[in-house]
Amino acid sequence: MLTLLFILFAGLAIGCAVAMVAQRNPLYSAISLVGVFISLASLYVMLAAPFIAAVQIIVYAGAIMVLVIFVIMLLNVEEEDHASLRPRYLVPAAIVMAAMLFAEAAFIIYFVGDSRNTPVTNTSDVGLTMSIGTGLFTIYLLPFEITSILLLMAIVGAMTLARRGGLLSEGARVVPGMQVLPRSIVDKSSVGDAAPVVTHTTDEAAALLEGPVGTRAQTRIKDSELD
Amino acid sequence: MTPQLSWYLALSAILFTIGVVGVIIKRNVISMFMCIELMLNAVNLTFVAFSSFFKDVSGQLFVFIVMTVAAAEAAVGLGIILAIFRNRESLDVDEANILKL
Repeated sequence: MLTLLFILFAGLAIGCAVAMVAQRNPLYSAISLVGVFISLASLYVMLAAPFIAAVQIIVYAGAIMVLVIFVIMLLNVEEEDHASLRPRYLVPAAIVMAAMLFAEAAFIIYFVGDSRNTPVTNTSDVGLTMSIGTGLFTIYLLPFEITSILLLMAIVGAMTLARRGGLLSEGARVVPGMQVLPRSIVDKSSVGDAAPVVTHTTDEAAALLEGPVGTRAQTRIKDSELD
Repeated sequence: MTPQLSWYLALSAILFTIGVVGVIIKRNVISMFMCIELMLNAVNLTFVAFSSFFKDVSGQLFVFIVMTVAAAEAAVGLGIILAIFRNRESLDVDEANILKL
């Protein structure tokens, strides 16, 4: 019974993965990838890891794939065209590397043989939420904290990357809302002055920028209005 | 006959290989991103299989941390993809061969 289930979910995972690579439309690829995630979650349940299975569904199939599909739809990407500008050797190289890795998989299947280890039965508490929590907050507390710092960096990095404009620079745009400008933008002679000039509206900022760099600011404003 | 450890390892290797092939042959940066996610999942399957067969919870903790890193990677990576698309009007990685935007 377990063997049948393994074959079912493994076949589903491989089929969805192949479909994902074969699809040209990124949206269909994303949906196939969700299929892979769900198959893997089923395999995690078979491996007596219900917590990881639940997290797999929630984080991967839920959060990450929603984010990916959101970006795909936001960018409205067209299907990949067939015209290839890539160097010719890349596709044969990919085939050779794939053949090597499949050969390694075949080696594992045929020559490693049956493992002496038997699967975990229900008497073990490995994989339950309690054992994972205990391990996470005792032995692996430092990696846990480092991961939290990583998440904080990801939040800041994603905001910095995704917002329009970024830090005020040569190509700066005046966006609505509160602006904090370096004084050197308004007055070229005060480069070393660290005190910022604070404005509260776009008009105020534009009026300040009228001076030495007024023309550039005006064109920038017109650009942003065209957007 | 119950599933053996080697079966899970073989499945993981196959999925990882498919991911590698996808990263190499795909030209759309979002598709490449999804293939990287597939490779991360193949490694996760290895971790969970070893953890389950050796009755050690450490592997599943690593899977948890890998998932967190994948989520952070998704957020930052998609931000980078948005920035590339905004500057180049294209998602083809071959056209984004100059880092200066």
